[in-house]
Amino acid sequence: MLESRRRSSRLILQIVLTVLVIPFVLPLVAMVQGSLAGAGWGNYVAVLSVPELPLFFRNSALIAVATIVIVYVFTMLAAFGFAKLHIRGKSFYFWLLIAALTLPEVVLLTPLFATMTSLNLYNTYWAVILPLSALQLPFTVLLARNFIDGIPDELIEAARIDGASTAAGFWYIVLPLTRPIGAAIIVFTLLGAWNDYLLPLVFLVDPSTQTITQLPQFFVGQFSNDQTKVLASAVITALPEVVAYLCLQRLFERGLSAGALK
Amino acid sequence: MTISSRAAEQTPITRPDDDRAQEGGAARRRSFRRPSGYAWILPALVFSVGLLYYSVGYTGYISTLIWNGTAPDVTHVGLANYAKAFSDPVFWLTLQHTAISFVVTFSISTVLGFVFAALLHSRPWFGGLYKVALFVPVVLAPAIMAPVFRQIFANDGQFNWLLTHVGLGSLAQPWLAQSGTALAVILAITIWGGTGVSFILYFAAMGQLDPELLEAAELDGAGNIRRLASIIWPNVRGTTLALATLSAIGALKTFDIPYLVTVGGPNFATEFLGTLIYRTSIPLGAVGYGAALSILLLVIALAMAIVLNAGRNKRGARTDA
Amino acid sequence: MFGIRSGRRSAKSLAAALIVAGLAAGALAGCSSSGGSNSTDSATKGSITWWGWTPEIGVGKQYIAAFNKVYPNIKVTYKQVATASYDAAIRPALASSVGPDVFNIAPGGGIGSIAAYQGSALDLTPVVTKALGSGWKSKVAAIGPAGLTTSSGKLAALAVGSTFAGSVWINPDMFSKYGLTPPKTFGDWVKVCSAFASHGVTCFEQGAGDPGFNMDLLHSIADSIKPGVWSKAAAGTVKWTDPTLVQAMTVFKSMFSNGIIQKGAVGVQQYPDVNNDFLAGKTAMVMMGTWYMQYSTLAGATAAVSAAGVANAKPFPMVSIPFPDVTGAGNPAPLFGDADYGLAVNTKSKHPKAAETFVTWLGTNTAAQQVVANSLNDISALSSVSPKWSDVTLVDPSTQQSTLQSLIGRASKITEPRLGDLSTALGQAMGVATASVAAGNATPVQALTTLQSSAKG
Repeated sequence: MLESRRRSSRLILQIVLTVLVIPFVLPLVAMVQGSLAGAGWGNYVAVLSVPELPLFFRNSALIAVATIVIVYVFTMLAAFGFAKLHIRGKSFYFWLLIAALTLPEVVLLTPLFATMTSLNLYNTYWAVILPLSALQLPFTVLLARNFIDGIPDELIEAARIDGASTAAGFWYIVLPLTRPIGAAIIVFTLLGAWNDYLLPLVFLVDPSTQTITQLPQFFVGQFSNDQTKVLASAVITALPEVVAYLCLQRLFERGLSAGALK
Repeated sequence: MTISSRAAEQTPITRPDDDRAQEGGAARRRSFRRPSGYAWILPALVFSVGLLYYSVGYTGYISTLIWNGTAPDVTHVGLANYAKAFSDPVFWLTLQHTAISFVVTFSISTVLGFVFAALLHSRPWFGGLYKVALFVPVVLAPAIMAPVFRQIFANDGQFNWLLTHVGLGSLAQPWLAQSGTALAVILAITIWGGTGVSFILYFAAMGQLDPELLEAAELDGAGNIRRLASIIWPNVRGTTLALATLSAIGALKTFDIPYLVTVGGPNFATEFLGTLIYRTSIPLGAVGYGAALSILLLVIALAMAIVLNAGRNKRGARTDA
Repeated sequence: MFGIRSGRRSAKSLAAALIVAGLAAGALAGCSSSGGSNSTDSATKGSITWWGWTPEIGVGKQYIAAFNKVYPNIKVTYKQVATASYDAAIRPALASSVGPDVFNIAPGGGIGSIAAYQGSALDLTPVVTKALGSGWKSKVAAIGPAGLTTSSGKLAALAVGSTFAGSVWINPDMFSKYGLTPPKTFGDWVKVCSAFASHGVTCFEQGAGDPGFNMDLLHSIADSIKPGVWSKAAAGTVKWTDPTLVQAMTVFKSMFSNGIIQKGAVGVQQYPDVNNDFLAGKTAMVMMGTWYMQYSTLAGATAAVSAAGVANAKPFPMVSIPFPDVTGAGNPAPLFGDADYGLAVNTKSKHPKAAETFVTWLGTNTAAQQVVANSLNDISALSSVSPKWSDVTLVDPSTQQSTLQSLIGRASKITEPRLGDLSTALGQAMGVATASVAAGNATPVQALTTLQSSAKG
């Protein structure tokens, strides 16, 4: 992108880059440092030996996986519909969906409580999964629609001339091509579901259904606050997300590069 | 993924397409290249639009009540909650903070994201490491990072320590304690967590640029700065506009960072609509007033979405022509 | 939903996919149902849940273990909810049919406010009368039922213990290191703080970003000038613009400019910031209440110092001192408090009798109250019980035990509420008033005038 034929200019680029990236790294260093203060690795031992940890982990994973499945399936169907099929008043429906991007969770707490209670879903995982998915869908549909838009019509038409149905075209042609944007959808949905604090707190009553975001609570009392273990739990909570991102990084970047957002 | 593949085994999707004509008719033939897609968008619409719009409608109803959210006794007050909002100085303050937040975080994140993308496309050593360092902040929940930032910007925190050690000790101050600087800290944290997204989108967009374009510029003898400004920047305009929309929405939805880092303080200096709605609805139990504030937030968001979209279409039309 | 286009393969495969998703989902829902037993309610058998923001999980489990020695067939599950999130979680839970059987409430308008949740609480008068006899009120600390009885006379919750504020805690090691003595007057206080400052040490740290602790400080100053005015203002019989309160607010303001309160206090929270700095030996004095007694024990202090991020934690023998006499009026050092929390029984509980057994046991049983007293977190609700010092290992009994005893002795006679007489809205307005003065955005008179007008409206 930038011209750096000479070694010296390349070095200058590298230095500029490093200086600029330092402010982004320092808070991460402070976090790890804080988690090792006081009892040192003992903080991690203490967090890992919270008896409920595996349970919280499982619950969070369950919610994340279910949310990802719903979001992925609904997003792909809708994005294909919006990008490649005939719908009268398409932009109206699209905007109806996209406008929901602006809804913050905190606005929805009271109405969602009424809804979940009347559907008998309060205190089930659904009370968390459904709103999470509904809030995630507008963004992922936007991403995926733009991506599928970029798939040449000819590819799908070729399949249709061969006698395949729309569904087959979707299944055999579109879906395999959307793996990169699928990775992006998975990463964004995982972040949303895994990091969510408010919905599990309000809608899951049972102590056995608590999620990983409640973990720091074990080290914060009314009149006590063990910051070192809070930070250690933060690191442990964040690890699966970082790992998931690293695993999907390549696909993720490709997904966003095919003109996902423009 | 596994669910979809199991579905495929159960459904014979390769059967010849023979029953199409009976439901198609003339309309179908006319749009042969575009079969109807209602069934495809229906699940998402029913689900997302259904649940969320129902909630919005319900919120609209609650906004005409004085109610604590669960008690059986409600008082109908019409539009009084809206009148209260318009005469509440804190409400106007939150709008001001939202506007500042949008302008500042959008411009700084955009410039940084753009510069990082350009630098990382210039094949530096260890590029992958830099990318991870920029994106990990996006991954971490504000709830995780809030205590860390509170520590960093405390009076005896690392930031002041750093200032003192690079000879800028006179600038050291209690950042979170002053109305004037607390908002700046909140914005800095937002930028820290958001630049990764700007970067990754610009990085992707620059990867799509026509190499010939850049070569032409090189033959032209354009310098690096000029090349960035007059060739690359105009060509990633689509990404910039998308980021503007996302930042605007993000600014309106701001909740976690000010709530967890400064609790909206000191003295409402970092109060945003989200924190005001939460504080009103939950600890104060004034769900009706909170609902009225929520509806105002949605109206503003929609108005902004329409304005941004109109601007975008106009620009799009111009470049396409 | 997909019937419209059922003739189409696309729709079929969609439907199939969704059915599979639905099946997976059904399995999910199965995991979450708690499956409470529907057996008839019994006072000695059952499974109940208890929600609270306090005690800490470990302490809660300790209480339950002791309870189960007497009532092995009542299974109690304790869920601690973050203080800041308690109201968000408990309100819908109580409105639902699956809420906790036992839940914490507190006097006043703060977290778990009795005003907000009294409708969900059973009247506990009959069970406490049964447990302690008709003269039960003389057997428990008066401050308990005072704050937990509704205006209609219902005992909404049973206090487990009380906490009192108004005391100042010091790190004696830091005082002796610099040859200083704890302040008794305002003048002393300024001098001590400038001496600490000359050594580059923080003297007194206050989390002025935390409205509740600002109120404690202001309340103490007001009581030291003229006892009782604060309570009258809270009750509405004296205006917040009363000269005593203006003077108190002026003293409060001056503490930010004369070097008593640390720089940048408005951006600091009492928890975790101030707490950690004090425990880590970075500041010599803090304003904390009787709940700080728990850090006098060797185990409590060691864990707390380590939690504040100090490697190889060495506990120090902290002691409380009376609040300095800020105007030289010679009034007794202020102390004011409430039931720390009370246990309420949910009207929708499916096991109210078992829940009542647990609540009554923790609030009125001598053995249970001994556990509460010995933990030194709360001052026990049962008047006859006090900490058994032979069972408590202090960091330095020679300096600490007598001050602890005198603090507990003073506290047990106090009837002046800390939060019990402040409504949610008044608490909020107080927070604004103290924060605006602390940040220098309003004069004491301006802030109190605003407070008075919002208290009226």
